[in-house]
Amino acid sequence: MAIQAWRVKDRYYRLIGSRCRKCGAEYFPPVYRCRKCGSADIEDRQMPKEGSILTYTRLHEPLPGFEAQAPFYLAVVRLDNGARVLTQLVDSPEESVRTGARVRATVRRARVDGETGLIVYGYKFIVV
Amino acid sequence: MPSKAYIASAGFTKVGDRWADSLLDLAVEAATSALRRTPKVKPQQIFVGNMFSAFGAAQEHLGALLASALGMSGIPAVKVESACASGASAFNVAYSLVRSGALDSAMVVGVEKMRDLEPEEVSQALALAESAEYTQFVGATFAALNGLVARHYMERYDVSRDELSAIPVMDHANAVTADHAQFRKAITPDVVSRSSMVADPLRLYDCAPVGDGAAALLLVNDRAAAGASPGGMAEVLGGQIATDEFSVYEREDMLDFRATREAFKKAMAQAGLSARKLGFVEVHDAFSVVGALSLESMGFSKRGEGAKDANEGKYGMESELPINTFGGLKARGHPVGATGVYQLAEAYIQLTGEAGKNQVEDADFCATQNIGGVDTTSAVHVLGRAG
Amino acid sequence: MHLMKSSRPSAILGYGAYLPRYRMSTAEIARVWKGGGSGPNAEKAVASMDEDTVTMAIEAANGAMQMAGVSRLGAVFVGTESKPYAVKPTSTMVAQALGQHHTLAADLEFACKAGTEAIQVITGLVGSGMIDAGLAVGMDTAQGRPGDDLEYTAASGGAAFVIGRNGKGAVALIDCSTSYVSDTGDFWRRAHEKYPRHLSRFTGEPAYFHHVETAVRTLLTETGHKPTDFKYAVFHQPNPRFPVEVASRLGFTIEQVKTGLLNPAIGNTYAGSSLIGLAAVLDEAQPGDRVLLASFGSGAGSDAFCIEVLDGIARKRGAGQTVRSLLERNVKVDYSTYSRYRDELHK
Repeated sequence: MAIQAWRVKDRYYRLIGSRCRKCGAEYFPPVYRCRKCGSADIEDRQMPKEGSILTYTRLHEPLPGFEAQAPFYLAVVRLDNGARVLTQLVDSPEESVRTGARVRATVRRARVDGETGLIVYGYKFIVV
Repeated sequence: MPSKAYIASAGFTKVGDRWADSLLDLAVEAATSALRRTPKVKPQQIFVGNMFSAFGAAQEHLGALLASALGMSGIPAVKVESACASGASAFNVAYSLVRSGALDSAMVVGVEKMRDLEPEEVSQALALAESAEYTQFVGATFAALNGLVARHYMERYDVSRDELSAIPVMDHANAVTADHAQFRKAITPDVVSRSSMVADPLRLYDCAPVGDGAAALLLVNDRAAAGASPGGMAEVLGGQIATDEFSVYEREDMLDFRATREAFKKAMAQAGLSARKLGFVEVHDAFSVVGALSLESMGFSKRGEGAKDANEGKYGMESELPINTFGGLKARGHPVGATGVYQLAEAYIQLTGEAGKNQVEDADFCATQNIGGVDTTSAVHVLGRAG
Repeated sequence: MHLMKSSRPSAILGYGAYLPRYRMSTAEIARVWKGGGSGPNAEKAVASMDEDTVTMAIEAANGAMQMAGVSRLGAVFVGTESKPYAVKPTSTMVAQALGQHHTLAADLEFACKAGTEAIQVITGLVGSGMIDAGLAVGMDTAQGRPGDDLEYTAASGGAAFVIGRNGKGAVALIDCSTSYVSDTGDFWRRAHEKYPRHLSRFTGEPAYFHHVETAVRTLLTETGHKPTDFKYAVFHQPNPRFPVEVASRLGFTIEQVKTGLLNPAIGNTYAGSSLIGLAAVLDEAQPGDRVLLASFGSGAGSDAFCIEVLDGIARKRGAGQTVRSLLERNVKVDYSTYSRYRDELHK
């Protein structure tokens, strides 16, 4: 898992997604082909760090390795370029988490492999 | 040479806590039961539908494992995997080969052993169907994705808590008389809305349970049909698999179940049937909201009205179009890789008139819909009475 | 002469502070351990369970980079005593998050003065012409043993500074600095230990006061500046009392100190302490204002700086979050929440 995360660290730390050189559509997570025009002419692109909540849930029983953070909010965020990212929401009081709320990206610890393993960092979002 | 394809036999285990039985025990039990009905049919190939035997039972190579256990070593045997749609996907591959004439007969066995796992391990196993790098990475379970879909659905279409509970309530009612069902107890909407929160707004009773189980079917073409009992056959009229963009949050519209829509449309066209001809449908209600969206994507309900229609009794056993005649995933149970095969086996015993107290009268045709992921893979089959 | 002055002038081009959102009152700590009372500071800033020096340094650095308008860094130095890894640099994780690869990257450790050391080193690298710009971060998630005096003050936060050649748009000139050190064991943490130890009152006179006073007096003597030449003075803030006391001994007034005195509200953010104070001063200083900055690190030493605010401040200020806005954005937590945040993901 540590190497899997290392491979995509720029995606995790900097929200590097994809942009279609042909039609300009942007994606996160990255794509191999444009979903709108089908072009394979795709480049890496830094995503905007702001967007709004499309839908959200409060997860009480997360995957193993995330128990310490539970319950926590997950949201589908529509970034300002139209890309949609699944993310945890942090530092966001219950009353602020609403469909349509504005959010911004930050970097946090995503997962820690016990007391001796590697720490994986990645994007999370905060209601602004 | 193309041929008609028939289900000639079915066998399945009771779904639930099968502590004493291994993955292989369950598969053998279901397969043996199916084979016993038609001793003259010798399957030329075995297709095993299973999702996570490697994770859950440290066992892969299920095709050869089962063939060997059944004393059928020598014939080809493979595993087919597409998450929760593994069962119907295995069936679809077998059906396509039998229909094409490449095989005269085949056996499909769906099996999943879930109860050996702790609850969080089950979450981990089911999450294997979703992106490791972008979904599992954020701690999202499969239930969480469906929670996101459920909130979106309820907010967009103004669906109430009790409306969302209608499909689970109906499923439980249908399973009361189903011998093989995991839960045979009727529930009220209050039971759903008071159950523990899993992924807000989804509660425990919105979600299909965890259980062990296996189901098996024998498929034959016209040539092999001679060995089957004439009254005990159902014809497979159409079967299609479709896929959508992998993660539900990547889709332009999270509430458009495009894979099911496409698979259903093509399977019905293949069968040459209009939807009005269907006597019942087995729907993949892994979560209440998924059941509702499935009904909408197949066109039985208008968009946003699947849960509302269910709440008004449109899909009850006495209605024009009963669904989940043995309780569906919610009450019969959802042994993941076996589920699609259970649906087909239930459809088969309905069409052959062996459904007992759950018998739907005068149904000539039916459809089954089995999903992997959040409608990422959908496998739809259309069956009819033989002859 | 003991002054350190680069041959070519170096200046702060942008800065960014970071404080985690959570605050715990020291009365809450006292309630748990002593049944009542409070600590020297009213509250302390507490990091969330998924925050650490890396994540907070990235937040601060993003703000600094945005204000500086710089795209390339020749150095990324993170001064901290709370590295997530004993071996594996914090600075490379920060550099990666900033998209910087052709860069020097190093973690500096000198208890609470590691952040000002980073500024001095980068000032030298820029001043010598070796690099065009570099990033200096002072950031900590300081921990005190539960029940120990340190638990009342040990806090999380810090600031990042992009330092480059003085020129158009520069925010503040780093005119010169001086350092003074000695072998003084007032506070330490042995390898593999989770919490530091300290010699209570010994941390005052022979440690904090001796080193800070010596460094600042050296700076004043050798630059010829008088305390009244400075609009602002920022001292390391292990508690609310020490910086005020040392200011008074050195001839500075409370007026000069108060803008950068954040300890009462946030506690001691260790390597971030004097730097977040500097950020608070830059948030309101005017071009031409002179700022004295003096850190203190146990072990022990002090770095004293003479900083002059430049015209660029007016145009660049307000681009990011101010220290004031970080202070106002807070949520109070109780001891049990704090325990959970501290232990769960800080392993």
